[in-house]
Amino acid sequence: MNDNRAVERLVIATGVSSVVTQLLLLREFLSQFQGNEFTLSLIFFSWLLLGGIGTWLARLVRRFHCVSLLGLVVFSLLLALISPFEILAIRYLRDILFIPGVAVGFYPTLACIFFITLPCGLLVGFVLPYSLYVLRSREPMYPGARLYMLDNIGDVCGGALFSFILIRFVSPLQASFLASSVLLLSAFYAVPSEKRYKSVCLLPTIIVLVVLLCTLALEKHSLQPFEGNLVYYRESRYGRVTVHGEKEQFTLFIDGVPLYSSQNRQQAEEIIHYPLSQLDSPRSVLLIGAQSGVMQELEKYKLAKTDYLELDPQVTLVQFRYKLLTRIPGLNVIHQDGRLFLSQTDNKYDAIILNLPEPNTFQINRFYTATFFFLVSRHLRPGGIFSFTVNGYDNYLARPQQEKISSLYKTVSQYFKELLVLPGGTVCFLGSDSQLDPDIPALLAEKDIPTQYISNLFYGNVTLMRQDYLKEKLLPDIRINSDTSPFLLSVMFRQWFSRFSSSPTPFYVISGLLLIVYLARSRLEECVLFSTGFVTMGSESLVILVYQIFFGYVYEQIGLLVTVFLLGLLPGARIGEYLRFKNRNIMWLIRLDVLLVVSLTLFLFVLVYKPLVLQPAVLLGFGFLLSTLCGCQFPLALSLGGNDNSAAVRTFSADLIGAAYGTLVTTLILVPFFGIIWAVAALLSLKLCNVLLLVCSGMQFPKKLVKG
Amino acid sequence: MMKALNRRQFISCSCGAAYLAVAGSAGAALWPFNKEDRQDGADDIRGTIFKGDAPEKLWKWHKEGFSYVRLKNSRVMCKICPNRCTLSPGDRSVCRSKVNMDGTLYSLAYGNPCSVNIDPVEKKPLYHFKPQTLAFSIATTGCSFRCLNCQNWEISQAKPHEVDHYDLFPAKVVEEAEKAKAASIAYTYSEATTYYEYMIDTARLAREAGIANIWVSNGYINTPPLLELCKVLDAANVNLKSYNDAIYRKLNGGRLHPILNTFKTMHEQGVHFEMTNLVVPGYVDDPEMLKKMCGWILENLGPDYPLHFLRFYPLYKLSRLAPTPLSTLESFRAIAMEEGIHYAYVGNIPGHPGSNTYCHNCKKLLIKRVGYTLPIMNIKEGRCTFCDTVIPGVWD
Repeated sequence: MNDNRAVERLVIATGVSSVVTQLLLLREFLSQFQGNEFTLSLIFFSWLLLGGIGTWLARLVRRFHCVSLLGLVVFSLLLALISPFEILAIRYLRDILFIPGVAVGFYPTLACIFFITLPCGLLVGFVLPYSLYVLRSREPMYPGARLYMLDNIGDVCGGALFSFILIRFVSPLQASFLASSVLLLSAFYAVPSEKRYKSVCLLPTIIVLVVLLCTLALEKHSLQPFEGNLVYYRESRYGRVTVHGEKEQFTLFIDGVPLYSSQNRQQAEEIIHYPLSQLDSPRSVLLIGAQSGVMQELEKYKLAKTDYLELDPQVTLVQFRYKLLTRIPGLNVIHQDGRLFLSQTDNKYDAIILNLPEPNTFQINRFYTATFFFLVSRHLRPGGIFSFTVNGYDNYLARPQQEKISSLYKTVSQYFKELLVLPGGTVCFLGSDSQLDPDIPALLAEKDIPTQYISNLFYGNVTLMRQDYLKEKLLPDIRINSDTSPFLLSVMFRQWFSRFSSSPTPFYVISGLLLIVYLARSRLEECVLFSTGFVTMGSESLVILVYQIFFGYVYEQIGLLVTVFLLGLLPGARIGEYLRFKNRNIMWLIRLDVLLVVSLTLFLFVLVYKPLVLQPAVLLGFGFLLSTLCGCQFPLALSLGGNDNSAAVRTFSADLIGAAYGTLVTTLILVPFFGIIWAVAALLSLKLCNVLLLVCSGMQFPKKLVKG
Repeated sequence: MMKALNRRQFISCSCGAAYLAVAGSAGAALWPFNKEDRQDGADDIRGTIFKGDAPEKLWKWHKEGFSYVRLKNSRVMCKICPNRCTLSPGDRSVCRSKVNMDGTLYSLAYGNPCSVNIDPVEKKPLYHFKPQTLAFSIATTGCSFRCLNCQNWEISQAKPHEVDHYDLFPAKVVEEAEKAKAASIAYTYSEATTYYEYMIDTARLAREAGIANIWVSNGYINTPPLLELCKVLDAANVNLKSYNDAIYRKLNGGRLHPILNTFKTMHEQGVHFEMTNLVVPGYVDDPEMLKKMCGWILENLGPDYPLHFLRFYPLYKLSRLAPTPLSTLESFRAIAMEEGIHYAYVGNIPGHPGSNTYCHNCKKLLIKRVGYTLPIMNIKEGRCTFCDTVIPGVWD
């Protein structure tokens, strides 16, 4: 029994370590590859799928009768050892496999994610059922649901540990070291108490610990840029902040992408003078994000007040430290989400200048939607101006860009009487209720404001012919970009694929075929858990998106949301375990599914008709309810399969594979292409189908499962 | 006798096969020799032909290739550029513009420019050719290279039917250029060599109409078609992307030697040209390589052809590098001039004094460039107004 306690502790430690590793790998891939939802979903998808396969593979071990506590210890040591190496593999292989400085396309990214996460993903999936075998070899009636709960406890602890502590205080390799150490110690503690075993295991444990310690020395080395020097590096809550110095130039990189360089005058001039030249005597400006050099340009207007909003304090710290920005009189730096700030303040401005990256993630897309533009229009003084820029084109406006610019034009034109779009490498949108003049150099000359780029190159680059070309190319019948239907995201995804001359279709087809084969061989209880995993992960992704849209990107609260999701699984599993003993499991499964359907219907109704009801507490409660219902179904589905080892493995796999597909389909297909409302409707429909399947199949089960 | 599979074994096998397919496709994505995606991870990103990709029928905007040979089995070999694409019927060339239709090579980029603009000639960049005049600039789709930092990838890496285009056959181009009062027609943006037939037909008509012709190119062209082109060419800006064949293959998908031949041919033919070197950090910013490049230029072309050092900005696929530091460009200009190049400029930096022209003899300021305007001009009839030295270029 004491040995079982040690194994249980090891299961919890595995949960902690696996979640921390997963989050670290996630951040690493986002930094080294592409920080968009595709990468995010591919990581979740690969991780969960590999976990499912690992779980399924555990059956083979059972078949060959090689289950032992010592085996579990060895697998745990291996797991502890490979986590930091996977992080290092991502960093070092990036520049070996690909040309340094090059962005990586979808399929090479998929391949890297799949193969690099393969050892860890498979092992994590494998260790859980293997632990069950070990526990049952000592206690044959050991309940699978209890193991599920222990794993969840580990997951909750790992998630909370990472989100609230590790991310703030330690680097990725240090975090990996700490998580692996917990696993290592738990594994050593679980070694059978006979002296012989302890002494045999001591040396490998020490070796692994030393190797882990050695990896810490590689943190900075593994992040050295291909060109120049790494002069600053911090992991902020929002991503990796690095500054590369080369000669006199400093460039700020966020997640591996160069954002601002200390020598980029042209963009700073465009961003500031295009809008401010339109105003007679601007006094107050709100900057949401800031390009390097903008403060020097702002200073030319002698403003009374400049509010600069930046979500990440690390970013402003380096911007001022490396002179990407200078402090000007009246400057007020505010570290807050831009949307959140505008929804809470009563301030009005002469100009609001949005200077954020392209809308290629859900988080950034929120700043290019109808709701945001409306919010901006409410915070402008009469005659005030709003401006933003997006990547443009040099000589030809290709289709995805054309759709992006047209959609933005249509969306923003709803809230401003006058709208001016200036073509170029970056396309600038200016919106106001007053007349706008495209002759920017003339306006600046009137104000006696000197510039380098605009005064001398504007007429040659932004010719009337180019302005007319852009106007002609605007598509009138284009969808607007809204919070709940983020059309721009689908455009940006298509643009990403066209850049690499590839298409996601082969991936979707192969994944779909795999799914069909899997479902064809699944039993009813596996289908139930598959759909539950699918709907729960899909819905939870949606709740996070809705939360961000309504309340801004607040790191702690998003972390809290994820923790609550994981936490909900625990009482769920407890209740499910209780219901299992009451028999009539299939009826309970149907009832729980109906509850899920009702919850999703309510969510859909509120989203469409009463969105104001969706306050943080409501979303937290909804997330908790979803995961509780999901957790509840696990023991019931497990008992339908017979509660033997093989059934446990199958249900674990089904849950993980369902979650993998739920993430993928919801984030990459449903939301970008159909919007949040239709995404909820689709998840709802899937669950309804599941209820029907359960009702129709109910007759095939033993009577006691149906009637008790 | 083969043992029959039961349902369970069959499904397990199917599952395994499907899993292998996913793993295989993921692995194939990393394999460095994939056709069009092989830039990810390989040292040679040169393009390959598109098998069976030709349209079923020719469209209105086609022309039989001017320079190709017919081979056995209805195959053809295009002789315009060093790629020398050998196409079976139904195949499309590396540049995406040429197809083999039943044993005849056709260009599908003829009279269908997708980009038409009127630019200052300084934008090409050409600093020693008809300053402060306008260039009527056209481009169709297509490129013989696969540059990772292409500024115009939406058209250079596209096929003719994939873009919106104008209907502008050669005579109409000349007419429009005259209307716009352009001193020249520039064949630019994508790679003009890929629409060679369209370019040369237009250039011949333009020459007759007294309009100059400008070729803006990567210089990847075979000597015979280049010699033909030189007969109607007034100026060119040709990229010398680096002086290293390995970097050419890695970043651009081309080779260095043919480009050096292009410079030599143009020099021999007396065409005014200027060279552009985009200084990509980590790849093309090696001063030793620059010195070798200058040595070759001085030995084979002389010191008079202007050399532009352009600032790199992260673009297209090469989007995870910092821009070139200004001091790198300044030092490159200084090195080039120390080595003996008479006219070296820095570009892509508004208002930088390195874009001014100084007399190579008396070192006085000849042209002050502020963007596209020239507030100071001290060249008269092609000579320095201070020391009467002939300044290379076309100044009328």
